Amino acid sequence: MTVPWGGELAEEPVGDNSRGHSAAESEWVSPRGRRQQIAWLIVLVVLLLLGGRTLGVTNVEILIDSMQFAVFACATNLVIGYGGLVSFGQAVFYGIGAYTIGLTWMHMRLDFWIAFGAAPIVAGIAALLVGLIVLRTRGLYFALLTLAFAQLCYTVTLLQTGFTNGSTGIFGSLIPSLLVNPRNAYYFVFGISAVALLAMWFVIRSPFGLTLKAIRENRGRAEAIGINVFRHQLAAFVISGFFCGLAGGLFVIYDNATYPHLLDWITSGFPVFMLVIGGMALFLGPALGALVYTVAYTEISQRTQQWELIFGIVLVIVALFAPEGLGGLVAARTGRRRSWHALLRVARDRYDVLRGDRV
Amino acid sequence: MSWGSISIALLTSLSSAASLFMVAAGLTLIFGAMRVINLAHGSLYMYGAFAVATIVGAASGERFWFAVALAPLGVAAVGVLIEVTVMRRVYRRDHLVQLLSTYGISLIMADIALSLWGGSPRSVSAPAILAGAITIAGHTFPEYELFLIGVGLAVGLALWLLLARTPLGWRIRASVEDAELLSVQGTNVRLLYTAVFGLGALLAGIGGALITPVQGVDLGMGDSIIVAAFIVAVIGGLGSIAGAALGALIIAVFEMVGTLWLPSWAPASLYIAMIVVLALKPWGLLGVKDNS
Repeated sequence: MTVPWGGELAEEPVGDNSRGHSAAESEWVSPRGRRQQIAWLIVLVVLLLLGGRTLGVTNVEILIDSMQFAVFACATNLVIGYGGLVSFGQAVFYGIGAYTIGLTWMHMRLDFWIAFGAAPIVAGIAALLVGLIVLRTRGLYFALLTLAFAQLCYTVTLLQTGFTNGSTGIFGSLIPSLLVNPRNAYYFVFGISAVALLAMWFVIRSPFGLTLKAIRENRGRAEAIGINVFRHQLAAFVISGFFCGLAGGLFVIYDNATYPHLLDWITSGFPVFMLVIGGMALFLGPALGALVYTVAYTEISQRTQQWELIFGIVLVIVALFAPEGLGGLVAARTGRRRSWHALLRVARDRYDVLRGDRV
Repeated sequence: MSWGSISIALLTSLSSAASLFMVAAGLTLIFGAMRVINLAHGSLYMYGAFAVATIVGAASGERFWFAVALAPLGVAAVGVLIEVTVMRRVYRRDHLVQLLSTYGISLIMADIALSLWGGSPRSVSAPAILAGAITIAGHTFPEYELFLIGVGLAVGLALWLLLARTPLGWRIRASVEDAELLSVQGTNVRLLYTAVFGLGALLAGIGGALITPVQGVDLGMGDSIIVAAFIVAVIGGLGSIAGAALGALIIAVFEMVGTLWLPSWAPASLYIAMIVVLALKPWGLLGVKDNS
């Protein structure tokens, strides 16, 4: 095999499959690494299953809160991390999920289980309608338009007092007595969250998920090879909206109430912080971020009034110095060694080529 | 409806457009040059208002002009501090990093404001010379708000002169086109960016300082203006000063019409206006397509 500059690439050691993998390197996990990941996951699941029985009620509630936030953050990551679309409006679907249960209870006394099942579907339909409009824009305009939708839904919910109860929100026995016991609620939320995360994992591993990543990496090239970018991004937006709505339903189990601020842009910001703190390159990064955020919030706000100051400083530092998040830091420690190998390989290639020229 | 009440309604929307314009112009100026959205812009506005309220204090309007001259300069200094410590590190980063770090700054500023000025709202009365009101066909309109409309026009004119007719202006415009070439030509682009950010902060400070006689000064005022200012800047097209003026007028008229005919939906009209404009013109009315 000859190449334009006269080197002989055929002399490359055969079996070195790393050539050409550089772009996908961060995604690739060795079989041993995969086995380790699965082992850690099983340990985590066992710990969480035991935790529901052994932990105190306060901690069980913190974990319920973290798990519903984890679903919210991972669903948001489908759009931001995998779709490359920075949305500041996912709370629209989170809030719609919660209000589907709240409003059907308030007006019709609809059975909780039917409403809980309907919540993600209603949110998904809303995401379809919103997506048709917001996906016409890109970049910052997309971020600001999704933000405007969040504020619109918040304002409308706040103002239509007769229909939504306005700023007081909807209170009452929204959830069945079975779920009022925090330990029962814990296992229910755990089961639903686990299934939701697994489903999202399959989505991003599917050909659809890979196409989505391809669009994120190079939109022009994806369009050029015939991928319908708009349709793929819309599908991602709808799937994300579906799971955000599910998370909203889980919030109702956690809090037994709904409030207008569930729909606003501050709430839209929560999953964004979580996925940045936890790391959006890893699938479970946003879930880690949700846990860190919930625990940190509970601990810090008990000790000091200056929660916002601390949170703000942490945000600036993370954004400036570790935009890959905690998960990214862990990955960087193992990844750096790999990139050193890649660098050595490139150096060796260059050397071989040069030597070929001289001979 | 009489002509008197219609002209009063128009003047009211003009005065709110003037103050919206000053804040949105700073936002869009910063975006135009550095391509960042500053979520802490509303906090700078709030600092301007609190600075005036603190300087005036209980002196009932005597020191108003002194305060209005000084407060925006203080805010500009805070802006320069923010630029030097954080912003210049995020210009070339992606939107997510920019939005998060400026959001973080706004949280920090909110907490500092709480410990500096406390949670209770304050009020500032208009200076004696503008405390009166004019009468149009039997309806009164405060003189101070007329003054606000004048300042809005003057700020717009000054910005246009600065950008179109001065060496600093052409450098700012050149940095939007090609910052690298500008630095080769001998301009210190880093310093230029600091100046632009300071200027944007100054505009937020002027907006905040001048709004004090019209509305109460409280900790939430930054959050409420920032979303409105975004909408104004986005409707007009981010980066376009003329667009900010147009956006401010549209939003103010939209709000007035909403308040007159559909009061319970008026606050939502802002967002509906933005969604409609962006759905039809994804880059705003006077914006240019940006693929970044």
